[in-house]
Parts: sequence; structure tokens; C-alpha cells
Amino acid sequence: MSTVSVRYIVDDVDASIAFYCTHLGFTEVMHPDPAFAMLSRGDLRFVVVSPVGAEHRGGGSRPMPDGRRQEPGGWNRFMIEVADLDATVETLRRAGVHFRNDIVTGVGGKQILIDDPAGNPVELFEPTRPEARLTKP
Amino acid sequence: MASDPLDRLRVPLIPVDPRPEFADALLYRIEDRNDEIIIQTATVRYFVDDLDRAVAFYCEVLDFEEEMRPSPLFAMLYRGQLRLLLSVPSTHVLADGTVPQSGGWNRISLQVSDLDGTAAVLRELGAPIRNDVTTGVTVKQILVEDPSGNLVELFEPLAGYHERPSRSR
Repeated sequence: MSTVSVRYIVDDVDASIAFYCTHLGFTEVMHPDPAFAMLSRGDLRFVVVSPVGAEHRGGGSRPMPDGRRQEPGGWNRFMIEVADLDATVETLRRAGVHFRNDIVTGVGGKQILIDDPAGNPVELFEPTRPEARLTKP
Repeated sequence: MASDPLDRLRVPLIPVDPRPEFADALLYRIEDRNDEIIIQTATVRYFVDDLDRAVAFYCEVLDFEEEMRPSPLFAMLYRGQLRLLLSVPSTHVLADGTVPQSGGWNRISLQVSDLDGTAAVLRELGAPIRNDVTTGVTVKQILVEDPSGNLVELFEPLAGYHERPSRSR
């Protein structure tokens, strides 16, 4: 139980693997099915899945009992801490990555939202207060 | 501009807002303890419309600990190495006026040792469960909704479940 797991719904697992590994420093752990891949970055285990039918062997992205299909998008997201947000944003913009907004300065840090190829958000942040860093006293 | 002859007598100012909830941070700054050992965590932000209900749900039902709640708009919770930030949508409105919303299908996955038992407890507590226990290739899982309609996935490993071995740092 040592890792943290997050699951994102995507429409194209291969495109997601390329995006997260190329731009955001993830490593591919396994890709045993066209609809499923497990990536990793530090202590984050990140599962990307595309919607499957009710009979698919993978259980994570089947439709609900009432027929609703799982979809990409929304606003909930994981965050990646970077040391220099301006430089990171510059690099990603040059690489053609889509941003939802410009850099925003909040209470604990500066932050910005990226869209992955399926339209899921990822938040990049640069902490400006000690307690906003990935440090727990 | 001429310098103030009293300047050298003054106690140096520490540029930190005098907010009680940041007392720990102030102490670190004063004691120059910014090089604490960094414990790796993963951070996730969820949008919730009722912060009190959300904090109660995550802490009482899903075993999170409240780390800070410096305002009625934001809370930081921990569960193991997961840091969960709960934000009220009005604090994250985009420049074009778009307001973030709760919900969607992306979610955190929490490992439990007895999924059926946990699901039964959650049902007793009245937590909305979106589907039945589903069995996949290497895990059983179920989807629970928080009071704002955000999803949390609970899973129990089955045979063949993969966990990357811990590496020494």
C-alpha cells in the first residue's frame, strides 16, 4: 500500500502513454491491453484506461449498471510539482501542449492547467510556501 | 534617500504573513529548516461544493487525516502518501470565467483489504455507491461518490496483482 493510485479515462491509451512519458516524466510500467496502461512517476501510480464494454476483462472502465459510459474530462486532477514553472510552461508550449489557462498565483504557489490529449487536466505547480511543498513535517 | 539611523537597531523583518495557520511554516523559515527530508507524496485536487461535508466524508469514512483547513474554501488531507486538496470551485475560476466543477470519472484509487466488508460499511453509512463490486483482471473494485459527486475507487488486489517493489532511496 505504498503508492498512490490515480485513474484517468482517456480515449486513446497509446496517445496518453506518449504524452505523459514524453512531456511529464512518466515511465511506462505495463501496457497489457489496448485499453489499459499503468504509468509511474515518483510515488504516483497512474492508470490510463479507455472505455470498454460490459464484457471486457478489465473492470475499471466498464459502463455503469445503468448504462452510463465513463468519459474523459472534468476538473479533478493530480498535481506535479516543478521547480521553475515559467521555464516548464515555456518548454511545454514549444512542444505544442495545450493549456487551459495562464499561470495563476494562489496562496501556496503558482499553478497552471494542462490538457492531456483526451482533455483531462493536469496541474503543474511551483510552491512558494514551505508547507505547499511535498514536505510533511 | 538617506538611511534611517535606527535601521540597524531594528529586529529584521521576516517576510511571512502573520497567519496562525502558517505558524509551522514561519518556524521553519526562522530556524532555516527548509531542508527537511522530503517525504514523497502524490497530490490530487478535487473540487467540492461543501467543504465541511467533504472533509467529514474523507476523514470519517475513508480514513484521511486533516492536515490544514486555513479557510472555508480549502482543506489539505492526507492518507498515507496521498495528499488530497479539496477546493471550492469559486477559488479556481479561469480568466475566461469558466468555473471548475465537481464530478467526472477520473479518480483516486484506494486499496482496501476487504472490499466486500468495506462496501457493506459504506452502504450502512449511506455513502452513494455508483456500481456493484466489479471483478477485473487483477483487482475487484467499486466506485463510491463523495458528497459533491466526485468518484473514489476502492480496490482489493486479486491473484496476479502487480505492485512495483519499493526501491531504496
